[in-house]
Amino acid sequence: MDITALKIRDMRTMLDKKEISAAELTDAYLDRIDKTDGSLESYITVTADEAKAAAVKAQQVIDDGNAGVLTGIPLAIKDNICTDGIKTTCASRILENFVPPYNATVMEKLNAEGIVMLGKTSMDEFAMGGSTQTSAFKKTKNPYDQNRVPGGSSGGSAAAVGASLCAAALGSDTGGSIRQPASFCGVTGLKPTYGRVSRYGLVAFASSLDQIGPVAKDAHDCAIILNAISGYDYHDGTSAKLDVPDFTAKIGQDIKGIKIAMPKEFYAEGIDSDVREAVENAAKWYEQQGAVIVECSMPSLKYAVAAYYLIASAEASSNLSRYDGIKYGHRSETGDSYSDLVCNSRSEGFGDEVKRRILLGNYALSSGYYDAYYGKAMALKQKIREEYAEIFKGCDVILTPTAPTVAYGINENISDPAKMYQADICTVTVNIASLPAISTTCGYDKNGMPIGMSIIGKHWDEASVIQAADAYEKQFAYQPAKI
Amino acid sequence: MDIEMVRHLSDLGKLTFTDEELEKVAKDMTGIIEIMDTIKEIDISYDPIKDNHNVYLNGLREDRAMDSFPTEKILQNAVNSEKCFVVPKVVE
Amino acid sequence: MSAYIPVIGLEIHAELLTKSKVFCTCSAEFGGDKNTRCCPVCSGMPGTLPIINQTAVEYAVKAGFALGCDINKFSTFDRKNYFYPDLPKAYQISQLYLPLCINGLVPIEFEENGEKKSKNIRINRIHLEEDAGKLIHDDLNGVSLADYNRCGIPLIEIVTEPDIGSAEEAKAFVEKISLLLQYAGVCDCKMEQGSLRCDVNISIMKPTDTEFGTRAEIKNLNSIKAIGRAIDFEIYRQAKLLDMGKRVVQETRRFDDNRGETKSMRSKEDAHDYRYFPEPDILQVNFTDEDLDAIREKLPEMPYKRLERYLADGLNETDAKIIVNKKILSDFFDEAVKTYSNPKSICNFLIGELMRRINLGEIELEKLPFSAEGFAKLVEMADTDKVSKNDAKDVFRTMCEKGGDPEEIAKAAGLLITNDTGKVLEVIEEVLAANDKAVSQFKNGDQKVFGFLMGQCTKALKGVCTPKVIKEELENKLKSI
Repeated sequence: MDITALKIRDMRTMLDKKEISAAELTDAYLDRIDKTDGSLESYITVTADEAKAAAVKAQQVIDDGNAGVLTGIPLAIKDNICTDGIKTTCASRILENFVPPYNATVMEKLNAEGIVMLGKTSMDEFAMGGSTQTSAFKKTKNPYDQNRVPGGSSGGSAAAVGASLCAAALGSDTGGSIRQPASFCGVTGLKPTYGRVSRYGLVAFASSLDQIGPVAKDAHDCAIILNAISGYDYHDGTSAKLDVPDFTAKIGQDIKGIKIAMPKEFYAEGIDSDVREAVENAAKWYEQQGAVIVECSMPSLKYAVAAYYLIASAEASSNLSRYDGIKYGHRSETGDSYSDLVCNSRSEGFGDEVKRRILLGNYALSSGYYDAYYGKAMALKQKIREEYAEIFKGCDVILTPTAPTVAYGINENISDPAKMYQADICTVTVNIASLPAISTTCGYDKNGMPIGMSIIGKHWDEASVIQAADAYEKQFAYQPAKI
Repeated sequence: MDIEMVRHLSDLGKLTFTDEELEKVAKDMTGIIEIMDTIKEIDISYDPIKDNHNVYLNGLREDRAMDSFPTEKILQNAVNSEKCFVVPKVVE
Repeated sequence: MSAYIPVIGLEIHAELLTKSKVFCTCSAEFGGDKNTRCCPVCSGMPGTLPIINQTAVEYAVKAGFALGCDINKFSTFDRKNYFYPDLPKAYQISQLYLPLCINGLVPIEFEENGEKKSKNIRINRIHLEEDAGKLIHDDLNGVSLADYNRCGIPLIEIVTEPDIGSAEEAKAFVEKISLLLQYAGVCDCKMEQGSLRCDVNISIMKPTDTEFGTRAEIKNLNSIKAIGRAIDFEIYRQAKLLDMGKRVVQETRRFDDNRGETKSMRSKEDAHDYRYFPEPDILQVNFTDEDLDAIREKLPEMPYKRLERYLADGLNETDAKIIVNKKILSDFFDEAVKTYSNPKSICNFLIGELMRRINLGEIELEKLPFSAEGFAKLVEMADTDKVSKNDAKDVFRTMCEKGGDPEEIAKAAGLLITNDTGKVLEVIEEVLAANDKAVSQFKNGDQKVFGFLMGQCTKALKGVCTPKVIKEELENKLKSI
């Protein structure tokens, strides 16, 4: 049996029954990474020694009978989450050798649970992108077809899960960066409600939109990880002072009578027919189980991409100003004055997409343009939130495609950054409205590429979103990547 | 977006481009701004009061000093000397 | 030079006396070895977030009340973006759109052409923000060394309307602000340590002008005196320019203390575009009316109220002002009066003795070796003839040197007046017996020798009784001989 393909809960059972040891499990993954990741390139850093040591510790805990649900489970962590003493690069040259002196709160929590960290996964540079091809170090491939992108920005995490190079992974989602790569790689990814999971230690891209979330083989595994990483953190002033419910609690409960809204603008011409068909078939399946499909509209969807990019780039342009080569990160060899050194370090260290976002952000915030761009985008943010609130008056969850297409070829779209932005239309409103959403596989196209659907929930209602996704997954005929 | 604007924005962001790069960037940015300009159609304004998360004074962090990080950790990723970050002179 | 009207506004930054920094838990104590009061948050590391300090917000509001401001019950924070090596995040968290305090008023008194004048200076706003680090310049190696200890220390920025009209007014204003903030207990206002900093915005205009002139900003003013000198120089400089038909350039200028001149700075960044936008990491602050009432109640009795009270108690204006102008002194005075309720008497001894020794540098107000009760007791002892007025000064000297209780000190030194008549007569007898030549001289009509005999008796009777008693008894005794 290939233990690397197991779900977390099945590994848990086998570990607790001593059918496998933590070391075996960890070694199996390290072995597989060794054989597979040379071409897949999902990991930037593999922490083999630390992983083995953690497995030994975990085994001790298991032997003492004190194992928690994640003890000894090997996970991969997106490389924009700070890990104390372990290089954290955000896939950027400007942080090539940055070693954080502290752990992100989610890492503290997972370490307390006794996980085994296998390594740090690749991503689009500073989480800016939808293909992971802007990574300065590892341009991850799609496990289903290595000529295609895995999606992004959490492409490394999604590909690693899809190729069974870890049991599950952490990613981050600012405009779809967990959900879209999950859909491209045939796995499940969840973005929690904004404020559910602490952002302390997540290298900031867009502060009002970023969230850390799980990527796993299914919704149930996502829920297990979400249980471990959620909760109020005093280090993060935007984290919610709410108790953490058990996100697995509603799994298996009857979905009869659940009202599922399908806002028509999400199904318009921009969506590939394969994708639309697969999601609509999933809707039909829900209806057959007794769910009620509700029609509705989100008129502001057409402005969403613009609003998202203006807000995200504005915040990013400010968040990235701290990278000057002086306190950490790449420091240019040339530059006699402070200004020259900073300019050279940044210009040498940042990739093209990051630079474009910084320019766009400065544009949106600069004097004379603020009201028309940033101010207007903030107003749109409020309008989109209101439109969601209106829709949720009449439903429990919302169903949309995760992306307009399946994973595309590695060299497609690279010459037209603006076109790439449009592809985010299905995901960005969820971040803008701070809502929880999960992406799960609902079909495969004629080339066998996975198609993802997103289930969006009300604020703080991750449990319903997980319940709905899990119900579908239980009967879905998965076609795992042949890798 | 014209080249002058790109230069201005890159000054603000402490980025430098060669002249060829500037041309490409200006072209890319023009395409991007076209998408951004779609929001000009809609006439709405931002209301900061609507974004009130209702955090009150006593919900804020208590004023207690805790241990700082050791200096070595603060400087561990930097060019440093005499316990400080080394910065080239600012021309004033 | 033609008559121009100076139009001056001040921006004052005051460091708040919190225990921790404004956005992290590092200590806010002054000093410390370089980069020992830092953490990932205040040193701007990736992935870090600000967590706002409740007391910093409270102190800012307290300062607002002290300066007569209204408080915004919904207040927000904004990022001010610019690059400088002392600013680790390359943005400062400050407040632009909805600051904590607005629309205040500070009355000042000053002298103009020998006349005493008073005026109200309007406060535009007070907002809360974080301080930047320090750069130490190493010219030999052409580098600067950055110390981030000061990054994140809470500052309030007090911005006035351009109501100030002269150097004298400006100095009076800064002194008044300093006093009010000290009373509010939010800042120790030590300009020489940098806990109070002042920038000046100044322009001049003709009386017939309808618009303000172009203004210059002056930075690097390290004392109240410097503020005055810089303003005087700048008025002179701008007037000279305009008189010659030239224009004043809008710029930042640095005050050169040695030369008493302002010099143009090649600006940090010309015409900064700070690209202010709402700080997404901080979720605003709201206040209930109860919150605000509770903060207002924490203010002690403010200087002008105390002055009224002291004058009503019969203190003269000069003395009353001396006491009011240092909160610690006024608190000491009030504490002393609680023990011995004779304000005038306490005031006299305070000004005459305590202030004298402080001005001589013998003792420090912040570290008095005796209590207010002890001080009051001594004054009462002098007033009730338990010690003589002169001996009281000696007792006080001992209290300054070693501390202690005045009654015990007096007793130990034998200075307590017991008015022990028996002892008095005994000593007088001894003295007269030892000086029969003088006695005969007195008996023969020599009045002057009485003084000599008095002196001898006083010396021998030091502290046992008052001079009055000695005189009386001596006179009686001599009569009876």
